[in-house]
Amino acid sequence: MASASGNDDDLTIPRAAINKMIKETLPNVRVANEARELVVSCCTEFIHLISSEANEICNKSEKKTISPEHVIQALESLGFCSYISEVKEVLQECKTVALKRRKASSRLENLGIPEEELLRQQQELFAKARQQQAELAQQEWLQMQQAAQQAQLAASATANPVNKAGSSQDEEEEDDV
Amino acid sequence: MEERESCVGLQQARESAQSLQPEVEVERPGLQHKLLRLPLSRIKGLMKADPDVSLASQEAVFAIGKATELFVEVIVKDAYSFALRGKRKTIQRKDVDNAVDATDEFAFLEGTLD
Repeated sequence: MASASGNDDDLTIPRAAINKMIKETLPNVRVANEARELVVSCCTEFIHLISSEANEICNKSEKKTISPEHVIQALESLGFCSYISEVKEVLQECKTVALKRRKASSRLENLGIPEEELLRQQQELFAKARQQQAELAQQEWLQMQQAAQQAQLAASATANPVNKAGSSQDEEEEDDV
Repeated sequence: MEERESCVGLQQARESAQSLQPEVEVERPGLQHKLLRLPLSRIKGLMKADPDVSLASQEAVFAIGKATELFVEVIVKDAYSFALRGKRKTIQRKDVDNAVDATDEFAFLEGTLD
């Protein structure tokens, strides 16, 4: 847990958050406690590393506050270029959320929309985004299945010259994913 | 998750284990965001622990948070590929060690391994 009153040096990313991420990255894989602890420590070091580098870049830029651009440059100079595009995506979503929130607040002030309504709208937006992503994932899954099916059919066609009528070639959709 | 080959290169291991899109709850009173898994406040606290580090914008903290999540995904996938090479199904600490040793960008972690 956070040691707000104690040393700041004891701060780490909460173990539960790391556990959740590990589980989502590698579902059904066991990870020893020692390994998890090490990942937590590595996170702390990573954050210090990027912050430090971003800080230096910020100092050179004569700006007083570390900006996301400084962070991106830090990632690049430290060899983490592959992270940059996803970081930029998150930043874009940040802006979108902030914008919607500002619009919603001004609407709230002008029209008196209750907070529950704002929450509802926000949940809708996220639900829509999740659905789109789920649909994308499912499409990819279907495509993979189709490719696998075709590969199978090609293999069995060469092995068995006899073709059955009304074979599964006509079916393109599986019921269960 | 695909495990076509018994010995996967690190790059393949990273590409084959697709993770779900992240949904993170940022600790905020009132409206909640779901953009990052790691708590922003903790990330900010870690940054501030370094007295030399100046103030960072909230977006900068987000950026670092997202980068850290990606880092976790990468190192965990790499560790997994080492566990597979060792014909184990449980990721051990030494797999994380190996993952650190195997990647140049992770050299900064050498001191953490003790």
